[in-house]
Amino acid sequence: MDRILIVEDDNVLREELSAFLKNSGYDTVCITDFDSISHQIQTSDADLILLDINLPGVNGQALLKELRKERDTPVIMLTSRTSELDEVLSMSYGADDYITKPYNPTILLLRISAVLKRCAQAASLHSYRNITVSAVKGRLICGSSEQILTKNEMIIFQFLLDRQGEIVTRDELMTALWDNDEFVNDNTLSVNVSRLRAKLSELGLPDAIETRKKQGYILK
Amino acid sequence: MKWKDLIKDRWPAYLFHVMALVLVMVFMRAFRISVEMIAIVGVILFLALVSAELWEFLRRKAYYDKLTNCLNELDKKYFISEMIDPPSFYDGQMLYETLRAANKSMLENIGEYRRGSKEFREYIELWVHEVKLPVASLQLMCLNDGSTKYVRQLRRIDEYIENVLYYARSGNAERDYIIKAVSLKRAFSDTALRFRTELQDSGVTIITRGLDVSVMTDSKWLEYIIGQLIGNSIKYFSSDRKPEITVYAEELPDKTLLHFRDNGIGIPESDLPYIFEKSFTGENGRTHTKSTGMGLYIVKKLCVKLGHAVSAGSVQGDHTEISIAFGNNDLHAVR
Repeated sequence: MDRILIVEDDNVLREELSAFLKNSGYDTVCITDFDSISHQIQTSDADLILLDINLPGVNGQALLKELRKERDTPVIMLTSRTSELDEVLSMSYGADDYITKPYNPTILLLRISAVLKRCAQAASLHSYRNITVSAVKGRLICGSSEQILTKNEMIIFQFLLDRQGEIVTRDELMTALWDNDEFVNDNTLSVNVSRLRAKLSELGLPDAIETRKKQGYILK
Repeated sequence: MKWKDLIKDRWPAYLFHVMALVLVMVFMRAFRISVEMIAIVGVILFLALVSAELWEFLRRKAYYDKLTNCLNELDKKYFISEMIDPPSFYDGQMLYETLRAANKSMLENIGEYRRGSKEFREYIELWVHEVKLPVASLQLMCLNDGSTKYVRQLRRIDEYIENVLYYARSGNAERDYIIKAVSLKRAFSDTALRFRTELQDSGVTIITRGLDVSVMTDSKWLEYIIGQLIGNSIKYFSSDRKPEITVYAEELPDKTLLHFRDNGIGIPESDLPYIFEKSFTGENGRTHTKSTGMGLYIVKKLCVKLGHAVSAGSVQGDHTEISIAFGNNDLHAVR
């Protein structure tokens, strides 16, 4: 389970964020004492850091700069400032992504998983059971038989695969699709999922994707 | 400065002079002074008058011509008192001093307002950042408690907050944006993602074409602008056909055009010229939804600041299309 360090000085927001991330299957650590943040960040041993820009007594960008001297833990900057300057500065100090408050929580999750995936360079995720996933060609290959997936189906399958064994909500799938410029609606998503199911059962995996009523889908 | 105007201005003085001259001549004649003598005195006095006037006129003309010239060439007219030397004639000096004093007092006054408006803007920015924290917390609370029905209202609050922020920014003289190459595709899909719930609720089909172009702009501002356009489209969809938003880019030699078209109720032709004006609500604003007339006004102001041209075309009952023109030269990038 990935550990996320939350550096945010607003108590309520921090608690809610932590609860939200825990619900979504992450382990969270929060900094509550803002006296020696830099030291705490260095020793936290987290997989990803959510860093606020406005912190008591110190600027998040300065912290990031300091952190980057020692480690390259992925960092997503959180801020309520909506100026391009902050974003450019944060990125140049080595932030991996940048989100402005109030962030849409599903978009936040999407960014977190994208950054984690990028940093893990998870080559292992390119196969599922006995199926080889070729995202570039858009194919699922199982022995001699193969199935061609459409762009949408591939996005859905990849997303489910990255979170294998966890429940993925329709909302999250929708966010992932829209993030890839596929502005689909509810019906299309259902159609895509059922086509994906059909293709998987062609490959001999009829019950790979399970529907959880009112929750979402799960890839077993 | 012209002779004619001077004479018109000073004719009473000349009248007195001529009357005095005539009187002197009449008296001289009464004292039996010879006609030749009187004629000589008359000519001398007349010449003295003419040359005095000429001298006065010429030195004033030199000064005032310089002044008018200077004024015409000045971009900011209120700098005139800094640009000219004090005149050599007394009444002019008085006016010069007055002008300087008035100017100084005006600058102080303006400075006061400028500081005031800057302070106000800074406070608005600060307030926006402050108020976003509880909104963010509430959004997460809703999600954690599974009570998603409040989320929509929170999104509305967030939108209104953004409006305030960008309105404060659009009216300000300071340059708080960064122009760099921005992908239209990225800008649009990020904005669409933010408005996903609203767009899906209204069942919109989104069609994008040829957005693989980069334009020189500020991405945050552009996203705000696109957000406003999406918001408008959602408000004014027609109930008798399937809502559709088409976004496409058009590359011309000197500029790139971003077209944002919806198949909504359209804008009446008589309203079209005014839609970018402040507080203009028009027929649609009255008959359909509550409109403040601020959205497109802010869009226009932001575009003007960024140096983009924005225009609108519409056929009532058929479509509305807003186009934004981004200049292709890299002037902004170099700066």
